[in-house]
Amino acid sequence: MKKIDFHIHTVPTMSDANFTFSAVALKEYVSVANLDAIAITNHDMFDAAQYQEINSSLDVDVFPGIEVNLETGHVLIITDESNLDVFESCAKKIEGKIQKIGDKISIDEVKAIFGDLHKYLVIPHYEKKPAVRGDELVQVLGYAEAGEVDSAKKFIRVARDEGLVTPVLFSDIRIREGMSVFPTRQTYIDCGEISLGSLKKCLQDKTKVALSKEDGNKLFEVFANGQQISTGLNILLGARSSGKTYTLDRINDSIERAKYIRQFSLVQKEDAEYEREFSNDIKKKRSRFAEEYLGEFKSVLNDVVGIDLRANEVQVNSYIDSLLKSATEAERKDSFSKAALFDESLYSLKEDKVLSDLIGSVRQLIENVEYRKVIKKHVELQSLRNLALELIETLWEKEADRKKKAIVNAIVKDAKQRLRRRTSATQIEDVDLYQIKMDQVKVARFEEIVEQLRAEEEISKEHFQGFSVVTSKSPFAGAGEVKAVSGQKVAFSECYKDYSRPYKYLRALIANEALTPSEFYKYFVKIDYKILNRDGSEVSGGERSEFRLLQEIKDAQNFDILLIDEPESSFDNVFLKSDVNQMIKEMAAYMPVVVVTHNNTVGASIDADYLLYARKETIKGEVVYSLFSGHPTDSRLTSVDDHSIDNYDATLDALEAGKATYIERGRMYEAIKN
Amino acid sequence: MKLLKIEKHQGYFFSKDQEYIPLDRITKESLLTLVDLALENDAEFDEFDEDQIKNQAHQIIYKSVYAKLSALSDEKEEFIDESKRLFLKEYEKYGGPSS
Repeated sequence: MKKIDFHIHTVPTMSDANFTFSAVALKEYVSVANLDAIAITNHDMFDAAQYQEINSSLDVDVFPGIEVNLETGHVLIITDESNLDVFESCAKKIEGKIQKIGDKISIDEVKAIFGDLHKYLVIPHYEKKPAVRGDELVQVLGYAEAGEVDSAKKFIRVARDEGLVTPVLFSDIRIREGMSVFPTRQTYIDCGEISLGSLKKCLQDKTKVALSKEDGNKLFEVFANGQQISTGLNILLGARSSGKTYTLDRINDSIERAKYIRQFSLVQKEDAEYEREFSNDIKKKRSRFAEEYLGEFKSVLNDVVGIDLRANEVQVNSYIDSLLKSATEAERKDSFSKAALFDESLYSLKEDKVLSDLIGSVRQLIENVEYRKVIKKHVELQSLRNLALELIETLWEKEADRKKKAIVNAIVKDAKQRLRRRTSATQIEDVDLYQIKMDQVKVARFEEIVEQLRAEEEISKEHFQGFSVVTSKSPFAGAGEVKAVSGQKVAFSECYKDYSRPYKYLRALIANEALTPSEFYKYFVKIDYKILNRDGSEVSGGERSEFRLLQEIKDAQNFDILLIDEPESSFDNVFLKSDVNQMIKEMAAYMPVVVVTHNNTVGASIDADYLLYARKETIKGEVVYSLFSGHPTDSRLTSVDDHSIDNYDATLDALEAGKATYIERGRMYEAIKN
Repeated sequence: MKLLKIEKHQGYFFSKDQEYIPLDRITKESLLTLVDLALENDAEFDEFDEDQIKNQAHQIIYKSVYAKLSALSDEKEEFIDESKRLFLKEYEKYGGPSS
């Protein structure tokens, strides 16, 4: 197996924070990480002289490369030494096109510059930001051997999914002066010799790519010294003060997105403080839910906030007055008031939102990658493109028409004003009756919607490990409740008098200058969020902590690793065994989890994939922390510097307070039983 | 094509029916036709001259229409480009002829 890192930066460009490159640091990184090959991939440029210096100073294979800013994301394009001159001139052309932050280049331009991309090793950002997406990704994958990911968790997910490309995990490191900690993101490839051709071939076969040298994707390196852990469930054991928390902290530092549940973080603290923390948490969740649930209502409300029915009424009345008055003056018209423009109305200028939305939908159909097969089964991609083109042309025509009408309106307004100044005749007021009628219809619909929104109802019920989270809606029972939701010190009693008439209530809210219109949507319906226990009653203090632990564990799905420090210090064994263990196992099925424990309920019955044992020793007056690891059934656990300890003794020491206590405890249970 | 002209101390506009009509009869529809014509290549106007137009209502309307249309005629390239700014990237990407 060869270990490679094909994403390394050695030149600070405008896409990086500034740094000073150090050849010494690069040499050390290659040696510490035991790399067999690297590629130099700076942003949108290639420094041939620096490459040659690096290549001659290192004993490993060094490939020239570049990281290109495509329109949706980044892509690595890598070649070999034999193609250096051609590559340098291609890179120069890329550099010429990317001149300032935000500049991008299309895949077609890249193809025009490099010619046949099949001759290069092409690796797009795949499960890594900024990822190449949509149509561009489909095009890039036509040339790519692999896709780059940024964590072991994503590597495994992509590796397991047959429909996805071969994943590669690289460091994306900036080699800077004074570096002492090196990343652990590299990939092992099962190829005999390292050449561009053999790498391209190997990368096409997922089984030839792994996170570890000998254990496939079951283990991955977590520290630069070669220490591995399982990509599933790891148990970290050890006596008190043996460096377990220290080890977790280090893992937390080495993996960018780690979910770390620290010891005692969820224990019930002072009642009042805990109550506040818990209810804040609930409040946040409720407000997030309300935000989502009321999203559509919010846009209805935004539309209605701008409607002033009373002002509309005044406008209609003044139109009718001016019309009648002008009729009585018909006999007395002068040359100004006789001009057709004197009473001309304006064009109504509406943007065609329907057409814009339609273009957006067709674009989605064209660019969706996930359901492309289904879409293509029914509609030809070219037909969709033609449809988009015609819709866009129609939109342009309509837009040009709208702009022309705006010019006409400006002339009409200007001429009307000038003519009015010269005559005593009454000018007929302009009124957009279409808009006024539309406003009325909108308000009526708004009232209906609010009516339905306020009807008392359970909106959602989620079951979660024996708990249920119930969300319901109902009308506010008084001004105080609205005030509580607003979180402001403003009195709502005046506005609340009109609560039963939604439009009037809205006008009252608008009239209250202390309130922010963007918050109005919260003041129409009460959203309740309750957590119930198995018996259907609201949770007690202890149950709250349990609920929060489970929630925190569940939240880990948004991270790349889950770290839990001694859950037993806060919870009882029954809960740990029944709920926590089960959930940890579920999470470990698709992401790395490390649990520190002394507790045999967690440690012994959870059936871990990998065992870590921390030990503190004092050697010649100096404290030395060591870490031993192995599979739970291995007879010995080994350290990265090839020392080993007996697994049976270590596990019994950590979980049962030693062999003697374990045997004694067994005897005691036997005695009780007999 | 002359869109606005001054004759016999009166202002006239060019109508859809290819006739010159006195300016006091101009409506928003006829203005829209003039805007279309002003965006074509050969739009011409008699320059606004207060002394030449005796009818004061015509004076007011001529001044207003002339100012806007002549400005528009000068900026017709920008006008067309700006209308095509929406979804332009998509248009070119899906194979539409570049404008």
